[in-house]
Amino acid sequence: MLISKNDLAKYPFTHEARRYIENLHIKIEELAAEEYSPILERAERRIEESILYGCVNHQWTNSDVEILSFPASIMLVMAIRDNFLNRRCALGEARRAYNLLRSEQKERILDVSFETFNWNLKSTIDSLSGQAFDFTLDLRSFLRNSIAFQDRKWKLVNRVMINGNIYLTREEAGRLLQEEVQRQVQERLSQPMRLELAGILEQRTNRLRELLDTRKKTVKSYEMPKEIVIGAFPSCIKVLYDNASSGKHLSHMGRFALASFLLNVGFSAEKIIELFTEASDFDERMTKYQVEHIAGMRGAGTKYSSPNCSTLKTHGLCRSPDEICKAIRHPLSYYRRKLGMTRRISGQ
Amino acid sequence: MTTNAGNFLQMKFREYYKDHGSKIPSPTSIERREFGFLLFKEGLMTRHRSFKSINELGKTLVDLGPSDVYYSAAYYDYPTENMDKKGWRGSNLIFDIDADHLESDCRRTHIVWICKRCQRTGVDQPPSRCPECGGRIHDTYWICEECLEATKRETIKLVDFLTNDFGFSHKDMLVCFSGNRGYHIHVEEKNVTDLDQLARKEIVDYLRGTGLEMGLHGLSEEDFTSKKIDPGPDLTDPGWRGRMARAVHSLLSRTSVEELVNQVGLPRRTAETVVSGKDDILESWRSSPPWHAVVGVGAKSWEKIVQFAIKRQTVNIDTVVTSDIHRLIRLPETLHGKTGFRTAIVPLEELDRFNPLSDAQAFGKKATRIYVMNSPEFRLGGEDYGPFKDERVDLPAEAAIMLMCKGLAVPHD
Repeated sequence: MLISKNDLAKYPFTHEARRYIENLHIKIEELAAEEYSPILERAERRIEESILYGCVNHQWTNSDVEILSFPASIMLVMAIRDNFLNRRCALGEARRAYNLLRSEQKERILDVSFETFNWNLKSTIDSLSGQAFDFTLDLRSFLRNSIAFQDRKWKLVNRVMINGNIYLTREEAGRLLQEEVQRQVQERLSQPMRLELAGILEQRTNRLRELLDTRKKTVKSYEMPKEIVIGAFPSCIKVLYDNASSGKHLSHMGRFALASFLLNVGFSAEKIIELFTEASDFDERMTKYQVEHIAGMRGAGTKYSSPNCSTLKTHGLCRSPDEICKAIRHPLSYYRRKLGMTRRISGQ
Repeated sequence: MTTNAGNFLQMKFREYYKDHGSKIPSPTSIERREFGFLLFKEGLMTRHRSFKSINELGKTLVDLGPSDVYYSAAYYDYPTENMDKKGWRGSNLIFDIDADHLESDCRRTHIVWICKRCQRTGVDQPPSRCPECGGRIHDTYWICEECLEATKRETIKLVDFLTNDFGFSHKDMLVCFSGNRGYHIHVEEKNVTDLDQLARKEIVDYLRGTGLEMGLHGLSEEDFTSKKIDPGPDLTDPGWRGRMARAVHSLLSRTSVEELVNQVGLPRRTAETVVSGKDDILESWRSSPPWHAVVGVGAKSWEKIVQFAIKRQTVNIDTVVTSDIHRLIRLPETLHGKTGFRTAIVPLEELDRFNPLSDAQAFGKKATRIYVMNSPEFRLGGEDYGPFKDERVDLPAEAAIMLMCKGLAVPHD
């Protein structure tokens, strides 16, 4: 159990904090009252810090204000209805939680992870293989969160695992909890808004919207170039492409990786079907069906992105990675990057 | 395969399900599973079927006599709907170990092809058209005891991983012979049911050693240059650390300079140092691991040795099957349409001495007269048969049905 108000202020996303807040029975209309303005003020700051720094700071003087400003900020964000803002705030709150959890007492970490996220986290003092650990965590909770990370130390194959329990340091447990917090806040924010906040908060939401727009302009999106440059394909795709062109057999995964990559760089479905006609096991009806499925022309209409590097590695399709490969996680990023490079060179 | 054989096989399969259908155990929550059948006649898959009970399924099997029966590892709200409307609610964790993925020496001789028009046959990679008459090619995979033993060894390795590293209990696991060239392992446990594709991919990578970093298991460059306290992987360490140590220990006890140079890629001098000192290394390993103790063998060399040695420790599972959360997989205790063998459930304690060529047979020994177009020599139920070429023979039902399933024979009155 989280006992003190200070704990609730630290972790306002927990079930305990939620119960505490519910028991205060504050009505939405009352928020306009002067006595609540410090809460709304802090709520606005929380969002502002998320937009600007992707992290809410974790210093406060009044625990009640800190606790209540969390649900208040959730309401403000919901009123703005912007997916980018939702993601940004979920990240900001999650990072705040991580900064507190990484140096938290073990008992508190156990409380938060069990009560709110239903983890099977256990305290340990085992020192295994020369490394000291603080916790063990069940496989399911570990994987649910670790798959978001790219660092190789988070791959299951590089962990100490005994009987389905993964050994963690305190810092690592905090990092995994950050993912849980982010997901939880994100889910709360994506729920349909049932309340009409109207005038009470308008000034604040307007200010935040403005800040958000300025921030968004600095984040540029970039598009896929129009012409297709086979020389810029990563070697994994090049091998598949060459094999398909010369009529060699490709595995199902290989065909999917190639077709989805080609569709994403601008090949038409017809052109890809033509490419596959070379194969000895070519079945036009089947190929047409599969390619059009990947292109989103059939089924649920989802256009498939091509598999990322990690998936290609799992299925044994990653081939002779080069320097660019070290910096990217997706064959399409390789392509964009290489095109950028070749252009720059030819433009000199 | 001629229609003739198709009709005959369908009749035999129906009879089998009539007499033995009650042996098929019901999948848990059968009403939430999708079923699929392949039929002898159309050769097309009927999918999106669902059954309220195992009895209802059993009746359908007797009616249809399908060549192959599949069910979804997944549970759905609406199993008969199209994929995007099914409502996925979880899936068993499944593994497929197939001789096709193992690099056994005998593998190449296992493909036998036959021209559908002129009946010319050959082994190894089938041509796209018959080199004689340009007719269409029918290819069949053959199986031998050696391949089947290899897949069994992989299965035993997998069970070891699933038990010790993953902590599944034996009652959570169901091991089946696949009915043809390998084994299927079904894991049903509440903690894995809702794992998504990415999480399952991590399990695949763990079992195949994909992305395994020596440096993260106590053998980093740093561990070698600075005076770190980590003694490196030892034989009794848990998880991959222990597996790495045991792999290297076993390699050292049997390796040669030639293997270390040609296959591991060590410089000759390093290889010689390792081989000449291997008795000492293994001896000293009784007290502590050797990683820092062998002069002239550094991080780079150990890395090569470890990477080579662990190949024998990884499990050669089909990567696609395990990471696919909508997979249809053969229903245990049904028949395989390419062999007529049972997808036999193998109790873990019997796995070691299980031999599919006698223990997964379904049709018995009653003499059955068939006309064989072409068949290599083969072994079944402890007996050797063939080779046969364009001849009429009387074979025990299980052998006759296998040849017909492979499309190499037709019934003969």
